[in-house]
Amino acid sequence: MSGRPLENIRVVDLSRVFAMPFAGANLADLGAEVIKIDTCQAQFMETTRTITGPFPDNQPGELWWEQGGTFQTLNRGKRSLTLDLRSDEAQAILKELVSVSDIVLENFTPRVMARFGLDYASLRAVKPDLIMVSNTGYGHSGPWSSFGAMASALEPTHGTGAFMGYLEDNESGSLRSGNVPNKMGNSYTDFLATWTALVSVMAALLHRHETGRGTWVDLAMYQAGASFIGEGLLAYSFNGERARRMGNRHSSMAPHGCFPCFGEDQWVTIAVRDDEDWLAFCRAIGASELAADPRYATTQQRIEKQDELESIVSNWTRQLTSYEVMEILQCVGVPAGPVFTAGQSLADPHFRHRGFFEQVTHPAETGLGDKAYIGRGWKFSSSTAGILGPAPLLGESNDYALRQVLGKTEDQISVLANANTIGTEPVGGRPPSQVPMDTQVELGWVAAFDPDFVG
Amino acid sequence: MLGGLRVLDLGPGIAPSFCAKMLADYGAEVIKVEPPGNGDPARGMGPFVGDDPHLEKSIPFLYLNTGKWGVSLDYSCDTGLGILHQLLDEADVLVEGFPPSVTGGSGISYSELSRSHPRLVVTSVTPFGQDGPYRDFQATDIITCAMSGLMYHSGDSDREPLRNALDQSLYVAGANAAAATLVAVFARLTSGEGQHVDVSVSECLAAHLVQPVPYYNYMGATKGRRPVRGSGFEELMPARDGYVVPSVQGSQPWETVADLIGLEELHDPRFASGAGRIAHGEELKALLVEGLAQWDRLPLFLASGERRLVFGMAQDAGDLVACPHLEARGFYHEVDHPVAGSATYPGMGAALSDYPQRTPSPAPLLGEHNSEVFGAKLGYDADELAALRYAGVI
Repeated sequence: MSGRPLENIRVVDLSRVFAMPFAGANLADLGAEVIKIDTCQAQFMETTRTITGPFPDNQPGELWWEQGGTFQTLNRGKRSLTLDLRSDEAQAILKELVSVSDIVLENFTPRVMARFGLDYASLRAVKPDLIMVSNTGYGHSGPWSSFGAMASALEPTHGTGAFMGYLEDNESGSLRSGNVPNKMGNSYTDFLATWTALVSVMAALLHRHETGRGTWVDLAMYQAGASFIGEGLLAYSFNGERARRMGNRHSSMAPHGCFPCFGEDQWVTIAVRDDEDWLAFCRAIGASELAADPRYATTQQRIEKQDELESIVSNWTRQLTSYEVMEILQCVGVPAGPVFTAGQSLADPHFRHRGFFEQVTHPAETGLGDKAYIGRGWKFSSSTAGILGPAPLLGESNDYALRQVLGKTEDQISVLANANTIGTEPVGGRPPSQVPMDTQVELGWVAAFDPDFVG
Repeated sequence: MLGGLRVLDLGPGIAPSFCAKMLADYGAEVIKVEPPGNGDPARGMGPFVGDDPHLEKSIPFLYLNTGKWGVSLDYSCDTGLGILHQLLDEADVLVEGFPPSVTGGSGISYSELSRSHPRLVVTSVTPFGQDGPYRDFQATDIITCAMSGLMYHSGDSDREPLRNALDQSLYVAGANAAAATLVAVFARLTSGEGQHVDVSVSECLAAHLVQPVPYYNYMGATKGRRPVRGSGFEELMPARDGYVVPSVQGSQPWETVADLIGLEELHDPRFASGAGRIAHGEELKALLVEGLAQWDRLPLFLASGERRLVFGMAQDAGDLVACPHLEARGFYHEVDHPVAGSATYPGMGAALSDYPQRTPSPAPLLGEHNSEVFGAKLGYDADELAALRYAGVI
């Protein structure tokens, strides 16, 4: 194996919440030195350090700001430098750091970055070939550019809800396309921005290598989101089709859907692509009479009769676990797979074989022990990539960044510490209150609680 | 940006083609190589322009293959494989999405290609990756959505999980593949060697689960689907002409939210805190429904933005294609295709300084650039090309 591809790249990560911190985490997995700009002013800390959690056993501990599981996922392998960017001294230090770095990631509104004097024009003045990603809801140009955004509200705004929704009953008792949009949730759009940022950063690094020039990436999550459903937008341009909400059905496969399995809230997906799949499916479920039934012989016929076919499929899947259905159907080459919960994914033999979840050992004082975290969807045959370690403790790298990288003296550093510009503990703030687990279950935020889980 | 990067795109379907399309959007020179006859199976995917099932009218294909050259080549025969290797002599990257069992021993597996082309980056995008017990499993988008774990969280908590919109697992994998491909190209600057990039569709989407995974291994909780109970904030709620997402996020006080929706009862101090909104969720939802019924989507969305709130609205494809904001950002391009006709195409997700957005060329007709690529580039003369055509190789 050769080394990590981004070994000599330094990233200043000013970003917060999900999208860009996760891009920074991926760059760290690839070997970049990612210096996360933290703050010890509790009121300005990012929410993933303070309230997002989840905390071990739903109980924030003494070092609550180090303990959020989502924070740990998004900031693994980074360094932490605390700066209070409201001060001129901190802004000057940040510019010095940028001048010896390659990439800046940030997701402040255009207004905030300009106020801090940290917009692209100002930073390029200290680092002419800088690569900078500015991630906002709507971008730095256009009539909506001043609007803030959250992924949960952005997702339907960029159109996913037009192509996602349950079927509805019509008067005759059969099912028809739905009118009500639905969501993938889980901050879906954030991750579309993450992947768009990674492609842009890598293209910009290659461009810099070729030309010596930097790049500013004006990443609008709304626009990035729309580019992922481009096929649906083009269908409107050509055919005037505004929406397509087919539940779990497919326009050219049947049966195709999500079916209940043995156990509580257990589901399996099945896609019968063509006539060959259909015959194999019928044999596998021991229903040779279905295979011979001329009413179901073609895809078109099966699509027309899918209400009744779906009840036949459900009656079969209900008696089996989702893994049993997968094994029976995959044995005969028919696409099928369980709807995994996170607990099932963590235990799944394929994910384990591939090493998709990576184990991290945390510093003892955090009380987090050893935990598994999601990795990346790609592997290299010779380059190394992988989680380097836990998220940094607050201000863990102050000394490294200020003394080793920027050559500050003891005296200069203690002046910053006395002004609380730098620090290693929150100034102000208190452990976040958590909604009790039984209330979370009652509200439906949590579908099931497993007291015997393996952490 | 990627001027000079030469990519061969073997397809098939969505994920590898979207990967290569992104590389083309960023300036790479991409040649799509399709089997003669029916071409990439994506050409058979609907919807079709004018509902006419024609090889040159598949809307997914037209979207996925803008900005590429196109050749037809049967590389399952020795002559065709030889020509593919000549193309590879001039390429930096090969992108493909065939099942590992198909590529093995076919002349296009990485172990074979790396011997003849050690500098080549080969990116393989498959449902479950190149190893592991599910390596050879069959999958379509609904299966990879389900096995990524994301689908469990999609839809309503009192109903079955709902498939994600428009083959999203495949688009997400395509974008991941583009990023990982460029990482390998970057690594080659120092190593001088190519490598194999193994992209798993299900894992790319599983990487989105930055909340559900720690919910489970930090506290034993399985995060649910969209709750049916609760205040309705951060969820899709009915407005007068469609659905909106009211939000309390965005660091503004509750009064700003209550003012915007414009219902006096919302100023009740019980709703002013997060805990209060949870405790009185059902009551709040009833008021919210009443208040939102006075609003159309767009005016509410604009008023929210002006107050520094972050409401969303459910837009359909027609709304998005007519969106003045996306238009102002140069997102849309008029692209004219010789068979499908002219239409408004969505462009790149990001705007890059030093690289103005350009109108891409339309998706290639099947074998459209055979003469340019095999003739001008590889040096086959007219008689040789005719012979290859007669033999069904191109």
